[in-house]
Amino acid sequence: MTLDTFVLQLTNGLVFSLLLFLMAAGLSLIFGLMDVVNLAHGAFYLLGGYLGLSIVRWGGSFWLALLLAPLLVGVLGLLLELTLLRRLYRRGHLDQVLATFGVALIVADLMRAAWGAYVEVVAPPALLAGQVAIGGLAFPTYRLAVIAVGLSLALGLWLFVERSTVGMQIRAGVSDPQMAGMLGVDVPRLFAGVFAGGCALAAFSGVAAAPILTLYPGLDSEILILALVVVVVGGLGTLRGAFFGSLIVGMADVFGKALLPEFSVFAIFVVMAAVLLTRPAGLFGRATATRGA
Amino acid sequence: MSVERQKGTISRRQFLQLGAVGGVVAATGSLLAGCAAPNIGGGASGPLKIGVLLPYSDIYAALGESITEGMRMYFESVDNRAGGRPIELITEDEGTAPDAAAQKARKLVEQDQVDLVAGIVSSGVAAALRDYFHDNQKFLIIANAGANALTRAAKSPYIFRASFTNWQPNWPMGSWAAANLGRRAFISVPDYGAGKDTISAFTHSFTAAGGEIVKVQLTPFPNIGDPAPFLAEIQAAAPDFVYSFYSGAAAVTFVKAYSDFGLTGSIPLAGSGFMVEQDVLPSHGSSALGIKSALHWALTLDNAENQAFVAAFAQRELPSGNKGANVFAVQGYDTARLIVEALNAVEGDMSRTDDLIGAFGSAAFPSPRGAFKMDSTTHNVINPIYIREVQEVNGTIANVVLTSVGEVPDPGDNSKDAV
Amino acid sequence: MARPPWVPIRALGRHHPAPSVWRATMENNAMRERWEQFTNTGSRWGSLVLVALLAVLPAVAPPYLRSLVIEVLILAIFAMSLDLLLGYTGMVSFGHAAFLGLGAYLLAFFTRSVGANLLQALPVVLLGVALFAVVAGFLALRTSGIAFLMLTLAISQMLFGLAIKWSSVTGGSDGLAVARPYVGIGGATLGFGPDRSFYYLTLASFALAWWLLRRITASPFGHALRGIKANEPRMQALGYRTHRLKLTAFVIAGLFAGVAGMLLAAFNRHASPELFGWAVSGEAIIMVIVGGSGTLVGPILGATLVHLLESYVSSYTELWRLVMGLVFVGFVLFAPQGIIGLLRRRGRPPSEVELAAAIKEPEPAALPKERRT
Repeated sequence: MTLDTFVLQLTNGLVFSLLLFLMAAGLSLIFGLMDVVNLAHGAFYLLGGYLGLSIVRWGGSFWLALLLAPLLVGVLGLLLELTLLRRLYRRGHLDQVLATFGVALIVADLMRAAWGAYVEVVAPPALLAGQVAIGGLAFPTYRLAVIAVGLSLALGLWLFVERSTVGMQIRAGVSDPQMAGMLGVDVPRLFAGVFAGGCALAAFSGVAAAPILTLYPGLDSEILILALVVVVVGGLGTLRGAFFGSLIVGMADVFGKALLPEFSVFAIFVVMAAVLLTRPAGLFGRATATRGA
Repeated sequence: MSVERQKGTISRRQFLQLGAVGGVVAATGSLLAGCAAPNIGGGASGPLKIGVLLPYSDIYAALGESITEGMRMYFESVDNRAGGRPIELITEDEGTAPDAAAQKARKLVEQDQVDLVAGIVSSGVAAALRDYFHDNQKFLIIANAGANALTRAAKSPYIFRASFTNWQPNWPMGSWAAANLGRRAFISVPDYGAGKDTISAFTHSFTAAGGEIVKVQLTPFPNIGDPAPFLAEIQAAAPDFVYSFYSGAAAVTFVKAYSDFGLTGSIPLAGSGFMVEQDVLPSHGSSALGIKSALHWALTLDNAENQAFVAAFAQRELPSGNKGANVFAVQGYDTARLIVEALNAVEGDMSRTDDLIGAFGSAAFPSPRGAFKMDSTTHNVINPIYIREVQEVNGTIANVVLTSVGEVPDPGDNSKDAV
Repeated sequence: MARPPWVPIRALGRHHPAPSVWRATMENNAMRERWEQFTNTGSRWGSLVLVALLAVLPAVAPPYLRSLVIEVLILAIFAMSLDLLLGYTGMVSFGHAAFLGLGAYLLAFFTRSVGANLLQALPVVLLGVALFAVVAGFLALRTSGIAFLMLTLAISQMLFGLAIKWSSVTGGSDGLAVARPYVGIGGATLGFGPDRSFYYLTLASFALAWWLLRRITASPFGHALRGIKANEPRMQALGYRTHRLKLTAFVIAGLFAGVAGMLLAAFNRHASPELFGWAVSGEAIIMVIVGGSGTLVGPILGATLVHLLESYVSSYTELWRLVMGLVFVGFVLFAPQGIIGLLRRRGRPPSEVELAAAIKEPEPAALPKERRT
């Protein structure tokens, strides 16, 4: 591998890592607060992408899609939390996880009915079409923008969780929901908000990744598995874990494909197995925190 | 919640639970009863029952819809009659899992007692079902699945293929590419049966014509994910051109990324025609411009049969919306016609097995692909193969035929494949 | 809701009235206990009647129904084996298809290289599955909870990838054909064609698997597994070597799933990579949950309902997963104990395990605890 190619692959790795971070952030956020692995995450990702497609088709811009699709899916997530998940709080997390699995099946088929079975593409905005030169090789501008968006989202989420009042409440809710409740935090409202936010993030990544990964039936489960791998590698429920998990999985995927293309199908699972076998809680998870579904 | 409740009374919840149990029992019972009485068919009279086994769910659903609609179009054009018998279609979902498809095949054959089965998109499903149809001496007309083996080692007298073998478009492309695209080829294909069929067919004729395979890149199947890392390796290898075979979502992500990375201008992309077929071409848009491919059909093919077909197909309504005719619809249309022609030849008498085998094997008729001619030795259609290029014609992106390499029969063995 | 402070909240769950009530009902609940046994692992007479009914079914049923029942019985073995992990031991495996596929492929290898005598193939296939299960279980059981779920998923996905990739051995994406199986002892052979004989082979396998699993779940080992589900640290404190127990359960579950895979491959006369797919594992989970986890009758009922529903609905609409999803969510919401939960009416005392589970988590389960930042 020449230096040029290495730099190119490294950039590819960054792009894919940050795409993965976009995909995994919502899943991680919901798990962090609610202890629920949202198996409908992939379905909401795809729903976001399809809504974005429709918004662009109806004459809206890509930017409008990037704003509106997450909003719509966020509202759907909110409704789901209020009508479905909330009823299951008493029963423990497994029932909630199973409920989201059922929702994933339902949403997947509804999308199939609404948007058909063809492969659909969302064009990137004109501003980000074309290429820029990196180390003598051309690189698509949109993919570079994905790096920027991913990094800003990571920073924004970090600031939100660490610095804002709501973020403080979330952290309080994560570490001790009962105590947070007693201190006047409206925990149910917090749960609903975080669930809606996590779903909106899934939809956001669905729109953002659509120009690269396209949209088609079945993508939902692919994305779900990718996002699950990322959060499990990073350590469930921590933003930092999702970020570094994305980097590791993204780089493993890209360099696996570059160096051993024939075996790249195993790359991310090998990395995940290696991490889990040495650190069952993931890289940034606490050693005891291996609960969950 | 009422904790203290009288024994002996039935609460609303209990009532609902009882009702739900009753519902489950009744549902199960009726599901079983639904298949208790097979409908008797077969013979030479009554409706001709055709089982259509095609994917309507999962990743191949768009193909299944197109093939089904193509079939319906032809059957309607002959007033839904074959060999003097009215045609009755029974569709079942092939899905992607061979075991589920096997169950559907049994349902069609044993429960619905269909006279024959048509369809099958996935080669994996076709491979799994081959023995079932062969052992039961039931006719199966394959409308897509292209695995070479079905025409070679796994050939059956009862199985005919109206679509293609993976060998057919790729082998002629080897010598054409060596003459027109360059001597150093980089092969990038998904790592599964069809990908490997592509490699062996193309390599055989390409190296025979003096070409050299720079590298073979096997990419993950079924999901390629982000193809960017593969493209960087292609760029680094700097071949004269890239030869590949992708279909469906992998085709769109690959072709789009190929264009996004600016490779289209520097390293020409060529391959099996499915990569730029009409099911994915609208999604490619201008990113597919310049791609050269080989296939047994093209939307712009200039023959009367095709123009009528394309115009008529545009009027149809499909579950996923009508994106215009594609090669799969053509295969469905030809499959239907093959069935009707053969049934006409035996006057609708399915019991004349040997005559039917002969009729299927000698079928020849005009088709949107040019001419449809069944090969009586391989039981696979002899395809006219066209080399096409994606061009912009009057504002639309379409495959334009550069040249025709004439009729290409599958060799029926691996003699024209590189090992 | 009025709850005495000493009553764990779980004990007040929808199916368990206050202790005062169940103590009263315990006196005349002999019938109820019998019913419970019937809906749990199956009562002796109940299961015999069911098997007897299934044995006369081919006499009256058309071939297609027979083949549907064959599939249901195979899937029931598969679902029961998963429930040994999921419902009894509390280990949610999302890769149980690994063993189904392995059993299928090992049988395919055996019939192609040695012969199609099932009596010869069985020990070889079981040995192969057991060896793999020991290694896979040893690795996967280093973790628990979601990490265990993901590791089991990874294991099955890797086998899926291997089955497609290693085409010289596995036939790649086209899979492997399986020769027509037979049972041969000495010179006598019994072939399994498309006739009724395979049905009876499957029924016998199902009955045997059910009986064995009943014995296993009723044994001290089975009780220990339930103890692990309820409270693993306590079991450890009591001196149980829980890791070894869980590994044993994992291997046993793998073996039964392997048998199911063998039967499936022998029935379809084919082994395909899709058998390893996560969709197969996910569907098995649906069967267990819909039927009722922590029981043996539940997975049998679940496999029946899910498979028949799927076969039936998919003939009418390509959106059959939507129907499955609705049914599934319906069960999770309104019948968390599945069909079994519906069959068991209220007024039943909570079982030891349920009480233990309730005691384990004294505070409302809705509120996660001991979380990191």
